[in-house]
Amino acid sequence: MTHDPLHLLFVEPRFPGRLGGLADWLVRCRGYRATFLCHSAEPPHRRPVSTGRGLEVIAYQVGGIAKSGAVAWTRILERGLCHAHAAWEVAEARRIRPVDIILGRSDGLGSTLFLPHTYPKIPILQYFDYYFHAHRHDLADDAELDPSTPDAFHQWRRAANASELIEFENGVHPWTASQWQRSLFPEPYRDDFLVLHEGIDTRLFRPDPAARAERTVAGRSIPREARVVTFVARSPDRLRGFDRFLEIVDRLQRLDPNVIAIAVGDPEVVHALDVEHHGLDYAASRLLSHPPRDPDRLWRIGSASPGMVARVLALSDLHIAPGRVFPPSRSTLEASATGAPVLATDHAPHREFFENDATAFLAPPEALADRAVAIWNDEELLRDVARAGAGATIARFGRDAALPRLCDRLLELVDRGS
Amino acid sequence: MNILFLHDAFPAQFGRLGLELHQRYGWHCSYLIQNFSSCPLPTAEMLRSLEIHRYFVPPSTDGNDEGGVPWPRSYGRFVEQCRAVYDAIRQVGHLRPDLVVANGGRGAPTLFVPEATNAKILTYCEYYFARSRADLTYRIDLPPAEPAPFFPRVINAPTLASLAQSVGGYSATRRQRDSFPERWRSRIEVHFDGVDVDLYRPGPRTGSIAGRSVPPDTKVVTFVARGLESMRGFDIFVKVAKRILRERKDVLFVVAGGDHTYYGWDSYHTGPGKTFREWTIETEQPDLDHFVFLGQIAPEELADVLRRSDLHLYLTVPFVVSWSLFNALSTGLVVLGSDIDAVREVVEPGVSGLLEPLFDADRLAERALEVLADPAAFAPLGAAARQVMEERYSVDVSIPPIRDFFERAVNMSVPD
Repeated sequence: MTHDPLHLLFVEPRFPGRLGGLADWLVRCRGYRATFLCHSAEPPHRRPVSTGRGLEVIAYQVGGIAKSGAVAWTRILERGLCHAHAAWEVAEARRIRPVDIILGRSDGLGSTLFLPHTYPKIPILQYFDYYFHAHRHDLADDAELDPSTPDAFHQWRRAANASELIEFENGVHPWTASQWQRSLFPEPYRDDFLVLHEGIDTRLFRPDPAARAERTVAGRSIPREARVVTFVARSPDRLRGFDRFLEIVDRLQRLDPNVIAIAVGDPEVVHALDVEHHGLDYAASRLLSHPPRDPDRLWRIGSASPGMVARVLALSDLHIAPGRVFPPSRSTLEASATGAPVLATDHAPHREFFENDATAFLAPPEALADRAVAIWNDEELLRDVARAGAGATIARFGRDAALPRLCDRLLELVDRGS
Repeated sequence: MNILFLHDAFPAQFGRLGLELHQRYGWHCSYLIQNFSSCPLPTAEMLRSLEIHRYFVPPSTDGNDEGGVPWPRSYGRFVEQCRAVYDAIRQVGHLRPDLVVANGGRGAPTLFVPEATNAKILTYCEYYFARSRADLTYRIDLPPAEPAPFFPRVINAPTLASLAQSVGGYSATRRQRDSFPERWRSRIEVHFDGVDVDLYRPGPRTGSIAGRSVPPDTKVVTFVARGLESMRGFDIFVKVAKRILRERKDVLFVVAGGDHTYYGWDSYHTGPGKTFREWTIETEQPDLDHFVFLGQIAPEELADVLRRSDLHLYLTVPFVVSWSLFNALSTGLVVLGSDIDAVREVVEPGVSGLLEPLFDADRLAERALEVLADPAAFAPLGAAARQVMEERYSVDVSIPPIRDFFERAVNMSVPD
């Protein structure tokens, strides 16, 4: 397969989002050119280095119902259509040419739906995150669900999949990050998927003894005798198991007074799956109702740049990923690649990425704290699993390892046409 | 067996079917509907034998009613309809169906039915709209409509969402089934639901139509559609009629159908306040002395009209074939139709009817004139059509396989 450079058109509601990092890699490492259509972008200091240097970011303005901050759940598809139409309008108005292939991620917001009208012959590789099951996974497992949850919660989950279904039937080539995610989708679609993780940035997230020796984070010094447990999520919410994290921290701090817990993430719950806390500071309310054993040893760092996340993870003696059944967060892989031993919930999504006791520690939700206590003082075991985890994660999920396969796929699709 | 049928209207698609299942096999058939249709009306026997409940979809939260929903809102409106169905099942309370069978013309409103009952759901897969070159977008001879690049990529959202949680589906014809994406077809069976060959049968000709005396030597050409609209080729029919009238003046064109556009975007080029029928008459200026517009008529009246007809024109774009086509064929009429796959599935050209290219009005007129000039030569086509309807599409032939399918569906696995 040759490696001729391609012109890529990305569409994702937020930049860099999920696809921005790989766009950056393709520009830097393959000499591709990329245009990224998005609705909102991170501030310049959080953008990938190739932004403006081969990776052009163009924002689109949404109209209609999408302009509203809140949208009735019955109208979520309509909101997505506003995004899709806005992306199409910008592509049409800017006459973005040439384009060899389009890469899209709707994240529930439409994305590439109308682009074939402007680019009728151009293949589209579409990233699919998730397919809702009415009573299973994430926060919908009946066993965990508050019985007073309104009917509309399950109804919304059944209705929300329509945006994925019309994307599928729009002539795209579907792509997702894991076999587990693939298995969520209706059986008629599963065979079509490219299953490939978008990769993690191993320039930032790799074992680095020098970074580990630097014992400050966010301006605070970490005592030499302290040991650090970490939690990283877009926001520390129920979905990612912040409540469980606090329980584990409590047990560890009872065992070892030198434990410092660091939680990274935007206070505001951004994922709409937690309808009860969406837009609120779940972590704060949880800490209010369940006061921590030692507030001075629970450090909350808000939304952090990738560099800051890397600093925190470099200091981690145990990274905890106690999330509900949901696609593993990128930060879990980043922690593993950094060389932190990872303790994660034992569920299918994590089992696909990690081997219990070999590359990470996996335990059922109710046994996470026990497991943390059991391994905490076994430094040799922690070190061995961390080392094996870093090696396996970098080899499998580092962008240099994962993305050449994506390049092959892109070239194949371009050769084949739409 | 206890079946719950879901449909906007009654009797529509399921009234006759439920009555047959009840009368033949003693099944209990209940219905959740929004409205009773005026054409055809429910029969007294249906009202006596079937359990019918109405449900109401509350007005749209943003002030748009059903008729005025802009296309980006259509899925939201569908979701609201699904909620209304869910509420209705819970309110009625005693419905304990083994199977829910829902019409999926624009998506079966079954999304939330699994929250209200454990019954398996079966979707009537009426049609899957194409992104281009069929149905809504086929009439490229007409001015383009603003939603054309967009809505066809969205219109199937309700259909897909409901199909994804059904145990399966069925379509009335192979072509309807094949309109669906290939990946879904293996879950959709083909079961025609039966033409009433007793009502629509050859027979003595009436001497008048809609109170207008029709001399025996007058040639009658019929055109029937629920709505007189572009997707059913009403304007092409008028063009063909004009050409026929150039050659002979003894022809009466009898048109049954309403002024509403049920499919497509005719209002975009007719302008507000004007029906497609009015727009076509204004554009084509046919000699209206040779036309009778009946509006929507009852099945019995339609059967009489078809029996009086010498030729039936059926000029649809690629889309669901109309009941009227089956009715005309069952009456033993010579049908001249548009040569598209959906019609070809039912009409074998030169054997059970005649097919010509939809847009070739001259050729259609030539063929029509041949039929009108020598009815005896073409009579075998009508006889063959009648035979096909009796043997393959009649109620007696169609109902047993549907019964079998419904029984099997109860034991099908719910999709993972």
